[in-house]
Amino acid sequence: MNMAQNSTFLFYGFLAAWVLMLFYVISLARRGARLKKELEDVKQLVNSSQKDRQKEIPSRVR
Amino acid sequence: MAAKDLAIEVRTKESINAAGAFSIAILVIFSFAFDPLSDSMHEFAGGLLWVAFAFAGALVFNRGFARELPNECLDALLSSPLSASSLILGKALANFVMLIAVELISLFVFGIFYNINWAKHTLELAATLALATWGIAVLGSVFGAMTVNLRLRELMLPVIIYPLLIPLLISAIEFTTILLGVDPIAPSDWLWLKLLLLYDVVFTAVSILLADTILVN
Amino acid sequence: MREKLAYGLSIAAAAMFTYTLYRIFLMLPDELMQGAIYRIMFFHIPAGIIGMIGFFVSMTMSIWYLSSKDLNFDSLAASVVEVSVLFASINIVTGSIWARIIWGVWWTWDYRLTSQLVCVLIFFGYLALRRAIDEPTQRARLSAALNIFGCVDVVIVWKSIEWFRNNHPGPVLSIRTGGGQIDPRMDHTVYLNLIPLLLTGIALVLIRTRQEATAREIDSLRRLAHAAA
Repeated sequence: MNMAQNSTFLFYGFLAAWVLMLFYVISLARRGARLKKELEDVKQLVNSSQKDRQKEIPSRVR
Repeated sequence: MAAKDLAIEVRTKESINAAGAFSIAILVIFSFAFDPLSDSMHEFAGGLLWVAFAFAGALVFNRGFARELPNECLDALLSSPLSASSLILGKALANFVMLIAVELISLFVFGIFYNINWAKHTLELAATLALATWGIAVLGSVFGAMTVNLRLRELMLPVIIYPLLIPLLISAIEFTTILLGVDPIAPSDWLWLKLLLLYDVVFTAVSILLADTILVN
Repeated sequence: MREKLAYGLSIAAAAMFTYTLYRIFLMLPDELMQGAIYRIMFFHIPAGIIGMIGFFVSMTMSIWYLSSKDLNFDSLAASVVEVSVLFASINIVTGSIWARIIWGVWWTWDYRLTSQLVCVLIFFGYLALRRAIDEPTQRARLSAALNIFGCVDVVIVWKSIEWFRNNHPGPVLSIRTGGGQIDPRMDHTVYLNLIPLLLTGIALVLIRTRQEATAREIDSLRRLAHAAA
């Protein structure tokens, strides 16, 4: 087993560790972005349905 | 609880037939993978048997709680005065009996196909079968209960159970191989039987403790 | 507030990594018998330790959830399991690469690698179970139960596979042998590298837990929207 092969595999080892870490961080980031968007959408949904409700009430009081 | 399940089983024989046929099929298929009449068969014997039993077991548990789903029998059972742990242990007992039946049939067939004499250490073999099968039955019963209402139930159960069963299967395989082999049992070999016992005790205890958590309605 | 903590931890981790990487590559000599490849140990060992500890921490969180019914503990448990699976996988992959050079094969079924693999499999099952249940309370309850089973099994797995196979280098870290087996600089570097890895792990857990809380918020808002409609 020569020095070159040894060092090459060392590089692969470090690469593997960091790539795995990177994969996870990227998937976390993507999930975070998706959740943020969903939260915005749902908040809008709640606001609009509450506004609809408020528009209904005056007509019933009349 | 166990009596009810066993009564159904004796009448319909659905699980035992399927599991038994499956187990024998595995034994046949493996006969093509290895030379069944060679001397080295002794080394693989334990592993082969327990692989067949573990997979046949999956067939048995899948039916276990799934059987209660139609007509909301499960809800009825849960609202009965039976405690959750007796429900799970009852199912485990029924599964245990069914699995033992499958194993005995398979053992008999195995002895014929592979020319292995399994009657050398009958008492120890019986003990191994009993202990290991109880472990499989308890875990199968607990996780059968856990996954009964999930989509992809048939996929989830093996994915969850098999890694958990690894130490049990290791011990069973090791000891069975020793029992079916030509050498006498060394004193250090009893370790495996003790490990099986430990596994059973620990997991039965944990199952009883967590039964209410898993089966609450 | 939690986000700031996560960022702070990440920056601290990055800073420490620069120091430890300098130590690993420039300060320490090549090992006599192994050559350069031994340097991977500085990631392999701490990752394994963090993974293992993480599984037990998550079991504690699960037990806490079961007694308090506070879903935050369930989120914590799930996040810790995810990050622990990550670190355990790093342990397995780096171990395999090291094994290729030292023992000539990619995988040797030696007891520590195999046990770690089984643990990863068990907790993959946990993560799969969580994905299969939509209702939050049921998901929390059942995955907590599985977590406890899993961790109890982890202990038995390690012992049984150890008795089954024994190939791995024996304990050399001073924490197990009382010192004197390896160059103390290498010994210290292993522990030193544990810190930035641990900080990174904690930062990841914090971020993930925050995401779980957001998911729950979305869920309840959605229910509110449907009720209002």
